[in-house]
Amino acid sequence: MKISLRWLQEFVDLSDLTAEQVGELLSLHVAEVDEIETVGTAIQDVVVGEVVECGQHPDADKLSVTKVNYGAEEEVPVVCGAPNVRKGLKIAFAPVGSRLPGDFKIKKAKLRGQASWGMICSARELELSDEHDGIIELDSNASVGQSLLEHLDMSDHVFELDNKSLTHRPDLWGHYGFAREFATLRQQALKPNGVQQDWPAQQSNWTIVREDDDACPAYAALEIHLPSVPGESPAWVQQRLLALDQRPVSLLVDLSNLVMLELGQPTHAFDADRLQGNTITVRPAQSGERLTTLDEVERVLEPTDQVIADGGQAIALAGVMGGAATEVGDSTTRILLESAAFHAVGVRRTAQRLALRSEASARFEKSLDPGLAVQALHRYVELLQSIVPEAQVAQAPSLSGCFQAPERTIAFDPVAAAQLLGIAVGAKEQKRMLEDLGFVIDDSTSTWQVHVPSWRATKDVTSTVDLVEEVGRVSGYHRIEAAPLLAPIVVPAQESHRLLARRLLQRAVQTHGSGETQGYSFLADEWAERLGLAMTDFVRLGNPVQAGVTLMRHDPLPTLLEQAASNLREFPSGSLCEVAKGYHPSAEGPVESRYLGLVQWAPKETALEGPESLFGQLRTLTADLLQVAQLPQSQVTPLCAEDGDLPWAHPVHGLQWKRGDHLVATMARVHPALARELDFRKHQVACVLLDLSALAELDRPAVVFQAPSKFPGIKVDVALSLPQAVACADAEAALRKAGGKLLDSLLLFDLYQGEGLEEGHRSLAYRAVLRAPDRTLSDKEEQKFLDKATKAALELGGQVRG
Amino acid sequence: MREQLAALREEGLAEVASAQNGEQLAAVEVALLGRSGRLTALLKGVGRLAAEERPLIGKLANEVKAALSQSLAAKQEELAAAELAQDLAGVGLDPTLPGPPAPFGAVHPVMQAARDLEDHFSSLGYVIWDGPEVESEANNFDALNIPADHPARESHDTIWMAEDTGPERFCLRTHTSPVQVRALRELGAPLRVVAPGRVFRQEAQDATHEHSFHQMEGLVVDKGVGVPHMLHAMNSLLEGVFGRKLETRLRPGFFPFVEPGFELDARCPFCKAGCRVCKGTRWIELMPGGLVHPHVLRSAGVNPNEYSGFAFGLGLSRIAMLRSNIDDIRWMMSGDLRFLRQFPS
Ligand SMILES: [Zn+2]
Repeated sequence: MKISLRWLQEFVDLSDLTAEQVGELLSLHVAEVDEIETVGTAIQDVVVGEVVECGQHPDADKLSVTKVNYGAEEEVPVVCGAPNVRKGLKIAFAPVGSRLPGDFKIKKAKLRGQASWGMICSARELELSDEHDGIIELDSNASVGQSLLEHLDMSDHVFELDNKSLTHRPDLWGHYGFAREFATLRQQALKPNGVQQDWPAQQSNWTIVREDDDACPAYAALEIHLPSVPGESPAWVQQRLLALDQRPVSLLVDLSNLVMLELGQPTHAFDADRLQGNTITVRPAQSGERLTTLDEVERVLEPTDQVIADGGQAIALAGVMGGAATEVGDSTTRILLESAAFHAVGVRRTAQRLALRSEASARFEKSLDPGLAVQALHRYVELLQSIVPEAQVAQAPSLSGCFQAPERTIAFDPVAAAQLLGIAVGAKEQKRMLEDLGFVIDDSTSTWQVHVPSWRATKDVTSTVDLVEEVGRVSGYHRIEAAPLLAPIVVPAQESHRLLARRLLQRAVQTHGSGETQGYSFLADEWAERLGLAMTDFVRLGNPVQAGVTLMRHDPLPTLLEQAASNLREFPSGSLCEVAKGYHPSAEGPVESRYLGLVQWAPKETALEGPESLFGQLRTLTADLLQVAQLPQSQVTPLCAEDGDLPWAHPVHGLQWKRGDHLVATMARVHPALARELDFRKHQVACVLLDLSALAELDRPAVVFQAPSKFPGIKVDVALSLPQAVACADAEAALRKAGGKLLDSLLLFDLYQGEGLEEGHRSLAYRAVLRAPDRTLSDKEEQKFLDKATKAALELGGQVRG
Repeated sequence: MREQLAALREEGLAEVASAQNGEQLAAVEVALLGRSGRLTALLKGVGRLAAEERPLIGKLANEVKAALSQSLAAKQEELAAAELAQDLAGVGLDPTLPGPPAPFGAVHPVMQAARDLEDHFSSLGYVIWDGPEVESEANNFDALNIPADHPARESHDTIWMAEDTGPERFCLRTHTSPVQVRALRELGAPLRVVAPGRVFRQEAQDATHEHSFHQMEGLVVDKGVGVPHMLHAMNSLLEGVFGRKLETRLRPGFFPFVEPGFELDARCPFCKAGCRVCKGTRWIELMPGGLVHPHVLRSAGVNPNEYSGFAFGLGLSRIAMLRSNIDDIRWMMSGDLRFLRQFPS
């Protein structure tokens, strides 16, 4: 939305303020100004000149050689190609050194051998209009040397506001609404918007039929006759439109735009001679009905669109754009001027469906005041007659529907309002503000009855708090002083999963060196398929941001794998983790769970097993995180294929941790074939997934301190030679059993396979520390442990190595 | 035997003297005086000596042993002193040599911003509350006074779930504001709560636009709460974020779930005379907020005639970008370790 300062000043006096001050008033009390543009800066170098000599170019038929006086000491030679250049003409002149729109700099030049020091400009070259058949002809009394901007009286400032900040204010889609704001803010009188016309007594020839009162609550049509085809608008109209980025077309169209920019109300002039019959119908379009709009595009309509139709066919798309067939043109002398109210959402949907956002639709979709429709007719006629005095209103307007927003009265307590706002603003001051904005107040009781004016009643002001806002913003929010809350603090409840997630993440990052990342909540179908996930088990997006990315992730692992793969080139090893939500479908709607996922990768040559291996590191990490989660006594078991749901995992190289029936953690190496396919060609990659929802639900007992024994422990090294098939966990369990209560710690320190061992065996070497709380252990007790270990090894099909 | 002892003494003293370091000296000690050393071996012959000779040889052997021990001790001290002197001289010591690489963990900058703000608000007695990313239309829009025909609900603004997702319409929440209603329903009034989380918009990506980003919502509901309290909460929050007091100003702003609605601008913390961040205006728009709309309170089962409240929002992604001068929002969801590792904690 663009607002011209000059235009505002027609209705309210702002002459004592700079443009910046006006902009600040808007930002602080109405809506934010994005930019203040100074009109005409692109042509500020151009001056009024006079052609003092003019003759034929010796070597070019179409060029003239002139001398121009532009107020400088000397007259300068200028070559000009315009047909209308002639001696004595006052011109718009760009001297050497000046800049023209498009950052085009004028230099001394030679044209076919003749010196040319400057340029005589056409309107198009100065972006004043599209006119380029010749140079601009200025008034003969224009004073040579004066800046063109001054001569044309064009200087102005234009405020640009973000449309989004005005969507809730149907009254601010024209200059007059802004003028009302300034009048209120500055306690000035608001000048009326033109004068009311006296309509002819004769009844309208036109009948209006509105089929749907919701879609079109009010429609007015006015027939106007012109003595002749009016042609172009006068310069002031064109300049006013150009300053606000509207292209001048013809007087009849330009006036519609002018009224719209002033009042916010779109109007449309039909060429009355091109209309069939005398009935105008507002009705839903038929399915497949066609209408060629003003922009020469044939639109295929649907019953959700509203059209204006004459006796024959659709002639306009209601609230969006007129039709080409009934457009005013170079023979129009009789118009039917439409000014109506249309349903905001209907107009928006049609404009959206057809990708045809017009100035009119942008305004109608804000729920305009229906009262504006009649006001716009008055203003149009007033402006037209000021330019073409012979223009005549043929009959009284044909009015159909209700030209007023619903009546609304709101109870309002000024004392409570001041308190809520924290502004010391008295009842009298509040009343003045609201009345200036157009509200009508009954203050005979302490709670006022406030009547909302039609221009604020369509959707904007509906309840007491809306009035509080009016008082607040007019008073100025700078008058509010911050105050701390004084109410007692209620000990806040906490969500356990949040604290848990934070502790675990901190551990993963600080102790294990993982990098926390954030991944998208959605998955590409193709990626899920590559991971082998069951495609039926997803919550799906209806309108994904990207085609083919339609799934809500179950957990963060798929996105972590994707991000990990994109890091391989720079990082031969690394780790990424994310705390994220995952979704599964259910009849009641999506079920949300929370996870900590972690993906870690290392070069392919890294050991597959043991403390140095990727797997070993992640196992340690997982167990460590579960310990941080204070998970008491969970059981860890190898992953088995039957557990399913992990199509990405290596069939056996994985572990899962359970607490009772709860699966709380899973870790596994990614299936090597899949890893290769996911671009981990030279890498091993493994994943960890902790179910935070499940972990957070479990009771976490506090740590119970145990005083360390004062007595020394004995270190006993024992190496077991066992068949390959015996799991390390089983060997460890056997040794723990052998150590019983005396076993203080047990650590695998060597894993050996090869010479000196029975075929198919491997050696697991443990260091056990035995300790008692109340005594120093004897050699006998050490021997007893060794005996039990030997027996256990035998039971497992192996023996203790010597 | 006498001669042998005398020879052992001479040779022993020479060996001790020639030891170059502690290791050699220890070996010499074992060879001379150890359990199977030369002195022990020699004394095994004592039994064959005449009875009257034995005490004399014993005495002599003790003398030899004492002499050797003394010499060993002296040498040990000498070597230790030399070692200490050499260590202190520092020859060949380079204190600038690096240690082993530390694990380079990283905390995502948006999560750091969330963490810092959560801590800030916890200290002020706010609850930290969470809500689902897949949210019902009722919570994301209806309860927040967003009209049924509001353009924000349309598919070019909101990412909707497929039709068959559940018994009602679900979308990816477009803001953290539904947590206002959820927290109020669950915890009741009075309440102070902040809700950080991921939100989604149907949006094409570029340097400043993302369809997935993070916000934090704040809500206070109590008796007698008004705009001054909101302003105070917002100011203290900015102080927490930027580590110092910033001049702020309130402007009118419009959001359906608050009335009146505001935008809070803060003096640009990055310049004194206008810069790229503030586009030369010296103000940056940081936080929308307002008094909770009575419709929202009613939706959450709170009587608006009894309670009032304020709410504010903060773009966590934006705060993180401002704090660390990140000029392209797409880094946030890139998972690129070159980005992440710049944020160690
Ligand atoms: Zn700045």
